[in-house]
Amino acid sequence: MRKTITFYLNGQRCDVEAADASMMLADYLRYQKSLTGTKVVCAEGDCGACSVLRYFPHSKGTDADRFLAINSCLAPVATLDGSHVLTVESLKDDSRLHESQQSMVDCHGSQCGFCTPGFVMAYAGLCEEKLSRNEKVISEKECKNSTTGNLCRCTGYEAIITAGTKMDLTKEKSLKDRYHSAEIQKELESVFNQSVGLENSEYQYFAPKTAQEACDYLSSHQDVRIIASGTDLGVVHNKRKLELTRLMSLHLINDFYAITEDKNIITVGARVTINEFRHFVKNKIPELAHYIDLFASPQIKNNATVIGNVANASPIGDTPPALLALNAEIHLQSTKGSRQIPLHEFFLDYRKTAKAKDELITAISFKLPEKNQILKLYKTSIRKDLDISTVNLGILASADAGTIKQITIAAGGIAAIPLRLKKTEQFLMGKKLDAAMIDQAIQIAHSEFKPLSDVRASASYRRVLMSNYLRRFFSEVQV
Amino acid sequence: MKLPHDSAHNHVQGLSEYVDDRPLLKNELFVDVFYSTRAHAEIKKISFDKVLAHKNIVAVFTGHDLHHNLWGTIFKDQPLLATDKVQFAGEPIALIVGSDLADCQRAKQLVEIEYNDLPKVMSIQEARSKKSFIADARFIKRGDAKEAIKSAPHKLSGRITIQGADHFYLESQVSIAYPLEDGQIEIHSSSQHPTETQHVVAHALGIPDKDVVCIVKRMGGGFGGKESQAAPFAAMAALCAQKLNRPVRIVLTKDDDMIMTGKRNPFENDFEVGFDENGRILGLDVQLYSDAGAYADLSTSIMERAMLHSDNAYYIPHMHVTGQVCKTNHHPHTAFRGFGGPKGVATIELIIERIAHALNKDPLEIRKLNVYSDIENRNMTHYGQKFENNCLPKLFEKLEADCNYQARRVAIQKFNRENHQYIKGLSMTAVKFGISFTTRFLNQANAMVIIHQDGSLQISTGATEMGQGVNARISQMVTSELGLPRHQARVMPTRTDKNANTSPTAASSGTDLNGAAALLATRKIKFRLSEFASKLLKTPSDRWASKTAGLGTEPEIELEKPNLDVNDPNEGAIWPTGIATYFGILFKDGMVYHEDQPEKKIAFSNLILEAYLNRIGLSDYAHYKIPGIEFNKLSGQGNAFLYFTQGVACSEVTLNKDTGELKVDATDILMDLGRPVNEALDIGQVAGAFIQGMGWVTTENLFYNDQGLLLSHAPSTYKIPSVQDTPRHFCIKLLENEENYANVRGTKAVGEPPLLLALSVWAAVNNALMSLPHFESAPPQIKIPATNEEILRNIHPDLFKMWDA
Repeated sequence: MRKTITFYLNGQRCDVEAADASMMLADYLRYQKSLTGTKVVCAEGDCGACSVLRYFPHSKGTDADRFLAINSCLAPVATLDGSHVLTVESLKDDSRLHESQQSMVDCHGSQCGFCTPGFVMAYAGLCEEKLSRNEKVISEKECKNSTTGNLCRCTGYEAIITAGTKMDLTKEKSLKDRYHSAEIQKELESVFNQSVGLENSEYQYFAPKTAQEACDYLSSHQDVRIIASGTDLGVVHNKRKLELTRLMSLHLINDFYAITEDKNIITVGARVTINEFRHFVKNKIPELAHYIDLFASPQIKNNATVIGNVANASPIGDTPPALLALNAEIHLQSTKGSRQIPLHEFFLDYRKTAKAKDELITAISFKLPEKNQILKLYKTSIRKDLDISTVNLGILASADAGTIKQITIAAGGIAAIPLRLKKTEQFLMGKKLDAAMIDQAIQIAHSEFKPLSDVRASASYRRVLMSNYLRRFFSEVQV
Repeated sequence: MKLPHDSAHNHVQGLSEYVDDRPLLKNELFVDVFYSTRAHAEIKKISFDKVLAHKNIVAVFTGHDLHHNLWGTIFKDQPLLATDKVQFAGEPIALIVGSDLADCQRAKQLVEIEYNDLPKVMSIQEARSKKSFIADARFIKRGDAKEAIKSAPHKLSGRITIQGADHFYLESQVSIAYPLEDGQIEIHSSSQHPTETQHVVAHALGIPDKDVVCIVKRMGGGFGGKESQAAPFAAMAALCAQKLNRPVRIVLTKDDDMIMTGKRNPFENDFEVGFDENGRILGLDVQLYSDAGAYADLSTSIMERAMLHSDNAYYIPHMHVTGQVCKTNHHPHTAFRGFGGPKGVATIELIIERIAHALNKDPLEIRKLNVYSDIENRNMTHYGQKFENNCLPKLFEKLEADCNYQARRVAIQKFNRENHQYIKGLSMTAVKFGISFTTRFLNQANAMVIIHQDGSLQISTGATEMGQGVNARISQMVTSELGLPRHQARVMPTRTDKNANTSPTAASSGTDLNGAAALLATRKIKFRLSEFASKLLKTPSDRWASKTAGLGTEPEIELEKPNLDVNDPNEGAIWPTGIATYFGILFKDGMVYHEDQPEKKIAFSNLILEAYLNRIGLSDYAHYKIPGIEFNKLSGQGNAFLYFTQGVACSEVTLNKDTGELKVDATDILMDLGRPVNEALDIGQVAGAFIQGMGWVTTENLFYNDQGLLLSHAPSTYKIPSVQDTPRHFCIKLLENEENYANVRGTKAVGEPPLLLALSVWAAVNNALMSLPHFESAPPQIKIPATNEEILRNIHPDLFKMWDA
């Protein structure tokens, strides 16, 4: 078992012990490595000033082969085991600025400059993506989508968007080619073959090689937290509401990176990121892919896992209503064996789930919607992008000439858990939708939940949103 | 000239140094601030025993450790650290000092405190009924507004509710204090006002100003939030450094920064307006009430600017403005880009929308009818300043045509009739922003220019760089005066030992004031160099000092008139170029020559060396004050401003009737910025200010608990615009205007004015809502910000009524 975390930073190997491994990457860069180009503003993944690029050779899927932007403020150094990280300091090639830098200079994309390294890194990530596909022209939409996770308070973004579109990729060599040699790749692969255990008086961290090892560890260490990328735990840690001192990471377990389709069943492994999930369902369930576009930021989606979003059981998480509507099943494993339960039985109460302390979530699976089924996913938030839902709603239904044959409705932001509206579903089964029936269904729906007023919205707003969504859905089905 | 920001190449590499990027010294300590969670309470008991027992904690300091505890820009009424009583949730109480910041943050949670709650005032309404005010009400009066309204064919009255907004500068408040010998303190701060920061630190510590140097290299954004409110955090770091004789760093988390520091003042304004059947305003009575929070800060000045901008672009013959600042138990609100201006302007722009609604006319028609104009002498403001160089009628006409307003209006009416899920709105609003501090003594600046022997320059002024590009503009002005490329000069960090008694970089005045001072200092040197060059060029070059000075074989060249003493930066300058010429000597492309003998040239750097060897002073200092400012705050009359920056914007929005979601489809902006020094930087200011203003009027919602503790204290809950929120079509154009003779080189200030144009988005939301049948008789009541929820409430008042009970 290894006693250090190993990763590469701007082409240099870093072997890190417990004390540094427990730091957030941004702090490690700024205070241990004097790489102060990376800035921290919000420490919660909502501004992108801390963006760095990360290549993780062990992931699978569309993005597996390139450097991706992530938030360094939320990434405990331990989660970078086996990765190669590039910071803004790495971009300049001898005396030549990277296109993401030069274009920002030429197009007046920086004012106060504090957010600038983050934007530059997001654009460097976009350049890597384009270069990996051998595409040379960058659209305005790609610029906006790649910087949705970055806030700027000075420029009004116009100059930044222009800078993005003017990056000349014919001049640029990929950072992967510049920094990630075959030797580095080989070393990271060898790192990956061994489990890791770190320990000092304040910190304990374990990363097993197999699910069985993970279950064994859990059965004897039931207070340990399972950490994937830290995009959620990192926030509570940074806000000093929780100390991440006893952790287990599943990043060395190969199988957990798999996302598969077998006989119309999609199975998503515990380490599959939100973005890989989106890639996978893009053509199979376009509505779901479109909905995921409104989920957090690219930096978060590049790193956060689908399972993490489900496991934290937030009532305002974005994947649960969609997965509930799709009748997903959650796969649990412990030393006692494996079981599969419907997702709606998983959420018990506010942040409480049916997962036993010694259990591990290994995957989540659901059936692809059938041709005659309609899937609709709705989300409203204060700001359209990079915002937490005020209300989100998923509905999967099939209807025949306005008569409901089958329906699942699930919503977030209206109760202590992501909620299935079962009474409403039952009421609607076999009913022919007309104006009166729709009114009645909406009335029943409202009897199933009691939303709160909070920082995001009043209870009334949540009620009215639910009414309007349901009415919109039913009137579309009715036609 | 469209040169990039002078730090752009460093910004993109992460090489630009901000305060917290300074290397940690080995014995350096961190501070975290413990603050109140109550609105108004006595501190019954407080114990730091558990804090001090926590690992890595070195000390705790309270208000009792300060020499003077009160500070304040206008009134010294605010404790740096509350001792017996707290007056707002977020009020600093104690400083927790330790060798590890995370441990300071953990230890902070171990403070044991007991409060005894006192009656609190949480809204403007409550303050009004309890007469909880700061300073007396102020008035600006022209004519007889009451009578004019009474006798008008139409009248309207109403109220507008305007919420505050957080600055959301990316770099939170930060300071490092280094203790030096003899009890001196060196402060590195992210401050728009180094002079005040120096003074607040010295006063708090009980040491003379001479023993405090405040240094500001740059800020990661300011927007007014670091005008007054950077100083207390500097004083806190300084206190710890003084007591412990170790460097001390205070870096606020975004959450704590947002909770502790003040915002844009909320306003609640009542109005009564009389107008004729065409929509021409005959009389207006407007009462402005602002929420100052618990302490005065800059709120009285902010109110003054709101009162001075309640006319905005419109001539109102009979006008009565009242302004009253209310004291509440919120964080003390402060300057924010636009100061009071946006709150005055929002009010009159809403009134115009309401008049249009009442008369069933297009609001643009009402605006054009009321706009200031030289025709019929409708060009005198309500405070008795004649509005010179009025571009507003031209701006309205040109943008109306350029953005195809009338055709779009027709298309929108059709869209709104036909679409079931969406409605659209279109509105054009204006800005006329007065440039100058309304407090006369702030309208002064000083600058120092140094030319080194190799011909490169250093410039020092009181201006602080917060992204606006003031350094780039100043260095462009100075180098162009000497015919040099910009990179030949470096603008140095702002330091109070180089430039003292400076004003804050605020009120959009940074370049006007400091650029003028720097240019005057440059001209002093240029004046000497010109006489010197005229004599040098007549001397055979083999007798120049560079060849003879060491031997002392030649007499020195002496100047007959070594001093130039002017205050007007345009004096002696040729208007088209803005460049002054003395003794017929031209400075161009790095060369110096007499205009009559262009073939006989000397390189600038050679001239400098010869001048040095002839003992000609190569550094100078200049002081500049803006002439003609004479506004009497008590009578509310006088020339408050040097000139006005003007502009118009047209915005189109789409609202989702299911969700209240708002999308800005298009914005066209046309501004008069005089003759920009750097057009690219100016356009950047327009775009940035507009989007910032758009956030204020749409998504930025400050949400407090019943104690006034801010709950939307991070970007997860406080939503500033993102890259996806920019208008789909966003076009910014500048009007050509060569006639701003009042200001340095005919430029105009740009920092704040475009923010007010974001009110076009808010007015367009109003306009969209007015197309709904239920607003046919009574107009919508929409506050700022028009959040999705606020919009949906107006779209479905019936549905909300069902659930609000």
